[in-house]
Amino acid sequence: MVTSLSSNDHHALDEAKAEVAAAEAVEKQTLPEAPLGIMATSGPVRSPLVTLAWIAPGTIWLLLFLIAPLLMIVLVSLWERTPVGFEAFSFTGAAYGRLFETSVYTNTLRDTVIRSVIITLLCILIGYPIAFFLARCVKTVKFQIALFIVVLAPFWVAYVVRIVSWLPVLGRQGLINYFLVNVLQVVQEPVDALFYSTFAITLALIQLYVLFMVTPIFFQLATLDNASVEAARDLGATPSRVFREVIFPLSLPGVLIGCIFVFVLTMGEFATVRLIGGGTIQSVGTIVYEAYVLPDLPKAAAGATILVAVMTVGVAIMLRFSKIREVV
Amino acid sequence: MSDTGLVLKDVYRVFPGNVTAVSDVNLEIKNGEYVVFLGPSGCGKTTTLRMIGGHDDPSSGTITIDGELLNGVTPAKRPITTVFQHYALFPHKSVLQNVAFGLKMQGMDKAERETQAKAAIELVGLTAMMDRKPRELSGGQQQRVALGRVLVTRPKAILLDEPLGGLDRLLQLKMRVELRALQRELGITFIHVTHNQEEALSMADRIVVMGDAIVQQVGTPEKLARQPRNEFVATFMGDNNVLKGTIASASGGVIVIDTPYGKVEVEGTGNVGDESSMAIRASAVKVSTDAVPAINGIKVRLDFAEYLGDSVKLHMDLDGKPFMAKVHEERYAEIRAYEGKDITASWTREDGHLLEQ
Repeated sequence: MVTSLSSNDHHALDEAKAEVAAAEAVEKQTLPEAPLGIMATSGPVRSPLVTLAWIAPGTIWLLLFLIAPLLMIVLVSLWERTPVGFEAFSFTGAAYGRLFETSVYTNTLRDTVIRSVIITLLCILIGYPIAFFLARCVKTVKFQIALFIVVLAPFWVAYVVRIVSWLPVLGRQGLINYFLVNVLQVVQEPVDALFYSTFAITLALIQLYVLFMVTPIFFQLATLDNASVEAARDLGATPSRVFREVIFPLSLPGVLIGCIFVFVLTMGEFATVRLIGGGTIQSVGTIVYEAYVLPDLPKAAAGATILVAVMTVGVAIMLRFSKIREVV
Repeated sequence: MSDTGLVLKDVYRVFPGNVTAVSDVNLEIKNGEYVVFLGPSGCGKTTTLRMIGGHDDPSSGTITIDGELLNGVTPAKRPITTVFQHYALFPHKSVLQNVAFGLKMQGMDKAERETQAKAAIELVGLTAMMDRKPRELSGGQQQRVALGRVLVTRPKAILLDEPLGGLDRLLQLKMRVELRALQRELGITFIHVTHNQEEALSMADRIVVMGDAIVQQVGTPEKLARQPRNEFVATFMGDNNVLKGTIASASGGVIVIDTPYGKVEVEGTGNVGDESSMAIRASAVKVSTDAVPAINGIKVRLDFAEYLGDSVKLHMDLDGKPFMAKVHEERYAEIRAYEGKDITASWTREDGHLLEQ
């Protein structure tokens, strides 16, 4: 016979206490716990073979197109030069000797590093506000995409066209010279140094590579947790404090990635330098190219090896810097 | 300055596209009260909280705290701070820096703000973790950092948006007790938003049930559990059975409602012939194999009995509609034998509760 019985409140309190005690125990055991979300994404255990299959394509790609060529360059730089190329496995340091015979390579390397650093810094100065505007001032995604495509515009045209398009601006008969000679009349003759100069190269490289700075910063800012910004405001931060205390530090990973892109790309630049510098200005790239056409392949390889080494050190310094900052 | 607490008067929030998120909200929250806004998602509870915190502005109506008008005042200038849904800790700052942030923004010097932040960290029991980054903490610890970060600025009110939402159940139970104890100790107004009925009942001094952009009912947990005002609240609070019908007779403060399943009587007034509805708590329902009484009783089929540890929830079928009862856990074995069979559910007149139409 089922008869009535409804209340059970006296049990509830004891059980709540027990549950709380259990919760305490659970929390103590699992410390320090992984952040929420990370645990949830850990999938089932895969067989090692499956894991191998997943990493194989990327690994093979890297081996074939990055590690092997790099090794090859290092090897060639250590081999004997012949009139048509090199003698394989005839180890010598002669190529490095020829490279450092004069101070040209050292000076150019120094100039290239300085130029790359300056360009990288200028790209931050120019690129950050653009990225910030796109990510945080433009409200709708539609406009963000539209404006982003506009920013991408320089990449719609061919590399050479993009470089040559500086001629009508900076060239002998370009816009700026026209103003200087005919409108402002501050000079008698057109200024050649506008185009065939470090200044022009810097300008052209910034135009080329600023996008590599804008893009990662844009994505970092666009995906930034808005709740942090709201929390900062809630706790009394003015807009400029919100930027300094929260937005900027949280965008640093994007800045770092942008810096690595721009630094590495400008370090290796040679076509822009060649076209805009008009043969009067050197970069490590142009020196390597000249050795290559000579042909002195071991010397070219030696120049490239040192360039790669310096770039690696540069990137390592940037990564180290970011480690110190402990950016998330 | 008066001590009138937080007052929302005729507050509306209409979003572009004429979507009314919050409509006609009138609330008076006393200083030191623990108030829970409870409702299903999209009911306007979070929008209301955001308006109190200054992260959104009412389309019309006023919000005041101790007589001071808050409309148009930036979040930074309000004596109210928010614990955000996923805590919104600053991931690049240590626990100490997170907690000291509000004081830093007030322009307090470093030594002083660190002393105060350390005191707040001790209050939430995280002294050992002071130099860690938020990602090195568990969910419960992050929650406590978020609390410490708002407590340190000594606000008049703290707003908590689904503060326990991201925690597992055991931790939720623990944090419920901790939050409540902390609020009592500090005497600060807490306004807590949740969609979890149990959480609301266990923590609130008063619950504000919201639904369809309006306040459906305001009351103490017992009041809401025992006397839901209308069908929305009765259904949303759960463990309530709602019966509808027309009023057959009304006299002496008792009305009889004629439902498709039989007559039920309930205390209240009404006009004969009007549509009416009443609610009975699941725990007030008695189940037996006795004959169905002439009034306040129905025949139902027991679909299955759900064992809940301290009680057994009976899921019954009333002509295709669910009907619930809760009985003591000891009855489980006995009751399971009746699964799939017809039984009688009955209750007393006092357990029935007339709902507003």
